[in-house]
Amino acid sequence: MSELDEAADPAALIEAYYDAGWTDGLPVVPPSDASIAAMLAAAGLEGPERLGEIPGRNTEVIAEKAAINAVMAGCRPQYMPVVAAAVRSLCAPAFAYHGPASSTGGSAMVLVVNGPIARRLGINSGNNAFGQGHRPNATIGRAVRLIMMNAMNTRPGFLDRATLGNPGKYAFCFAEHEEDHPWEPLHVSRGLKAEDSAVTLIASNSVYQVYNQLAASPEPLLRCFADALGNMGSPNLKGFNETLIVFAGEHADILKAARWSRSDVQRFLVEHARRRVADFKRAARMPGAVTAADETTWRHVFERPEDILIACAGGRAGSWSACLPGWGNKWTRSITTRIDDALLGRQT
Amino acid sequence: MKLFDPTSKPVERAVRLAPRPASPKGLRLGLVDNTKFNSDILLKKLAERLAARHQMTVSATNRKRSPSHEIDEAGIRALRAQSDLVISGIGD
Repeated sequence: MSELDEAADPAALIEAYYDAGWTDGLPVVPPSDASIAAMLAAAGLEGPERLGEIPGRNTEVIAEKAAINAVMAGCRPQYMPVVAAAVRSLCAPAFAYHGPASSTGGSAMVLVVNGPIARRLGINSGNNAFGQGHRPNATIGRAVRLIMMNAMNTRPGFLDRATLGNPGKYAFCFAEHEEDHPWEPLHVSRGLKAEDSAVTLIASNSVYQVYNQLAASPEPLLRCFADALGNMGSPNLKGFNETLIVFAGEHADILKAARWSRSDVQRFLVEHARRRVADFKRAARMPGAVTAADETTWRHVFERPEDILIACAGGRAGSWSACLPGWGNKWTRSITTRIDDALLGRQT
Repeated sequence: MKLFDPTSKPVERAVRLAPRPASPKGLRLGLVDNTKFNSDILLKKLAERLAARHQMTVSATNRKRSPSHEIDEAGIRALRAQSDLVISGIGD
C-alpha cells in the first residue's frame, strides 16, 4: 500500500494502477479498505486465508489479494464466492495450472456457472451469453484473469507465453441456461445436485461458432460439430482431450425434440469426430509419408464420451452453437467446484 | 489516497544445490522426458554424445505425466538415488 500525492481524483488513481502495471489494459476500480472487506465478507473469507497454491511455481493465492483484484475488476461483493470457487479450480492439481496458464496456446479460462447463484447474481445465460453487456459475466471473468496476472504471477511475456492469446483471456464467464434444458445441467452431469451452485473451469484456446439452419434432426446437425471438432488446425486433434460444446436454443430444441440424451450426443461425436491418418500426414500433423493403409485408418479426436462437456446457453433464436476446444493433450482436466450454500444467504 | 497492491510474490523456499561433480567422466546420467514432441529423441541423442565424450551412462529415465505436471516424489527419489547428473527442460 502506498500514499499518492495526487488529489482525490479518480482518474489519477486509475492512472496510478496503470503506472504500477497492475491492470489488464482496461481501467480498474480503485479498491478501498471497505470494498476489500465487503468482498471478503461476502465469500466468508478471512484476508490471510489461502485459497490455493501452485507448488511448482511457488505460488499461493491469498484471499485478500484475490479480493483486491475482484474489486479492481468491478465485481460486486456478492460475486466473490464465484471468483473464489474459480480460483480454487485453477489451483486444483488435476487442472495442472502451469500448462494452460503459460502455454503458447493462450487459453481463456472459461467459467460456466450453474445453480441458484447464477440466477441470484443475474449471470447471463441467454442472448449474447459470451458477449458484452452483463456485469457479472464481465467482471467475474475479469477478476479471475487479474488474479492470475497479479496474484499468480502469470503476466504476458513472462509466465504467460501466449503466441496470440484470444479475447476470452480478458474475461470468459457465462451461466448455463438451465430452464428448458434438454438434459440435466452441466454441474449435475458432473456429480452435483441440481440445487447446488457450482463453477466449472475449462481452459480453451478458442471459441468457434457452429452454424446449421437446415438440420431438423440430430445426425446432420451433429455432423457439423464433429467436423468442426476434427478440423486439421485444431490443437488437440491427436490428444483425446476435453472439449466444451455449448448448444444454443434452436440446436438444443432439435436434440430435445428427438429425445437424444446427453450421452447419445457424446457417443455420436466420439464416433464421428475423426480423421484419416493420411489427412494428418498430408497436413504435417503427423510425421512420415502417406501409406496406402493411412487412407483407411482413422484416428478419433476423443477417447471417451465424458471428455465432451456439454452446456446450453445463448439466445432462443438463431442457428448457432459453439465449440470450445480444451487446451492441451490430456495435460489438464476441467474442474467443477461447488459453492457453499451458506454463502447464498449472504447474497443481498 | 491509498494504492492497494494486488500482486503476490512467489513464496520463497530454500533450495540447496547439489555439489557440482568434480569431473564429467563416467557420471551416471538421469534423463527427464517431459513428453513434448521429439523430447525423447533429443534426450537420447544428447545422452549418446555425453557417453561418447565423457563415458556417461544413462542410469535413470523419468517420463513425466505431461509437460504441465511436476515429477512425482517417487520419480525424484529414483533420480536422486540413481544419478549423478540429471538433464531436464526440453522445450518446443
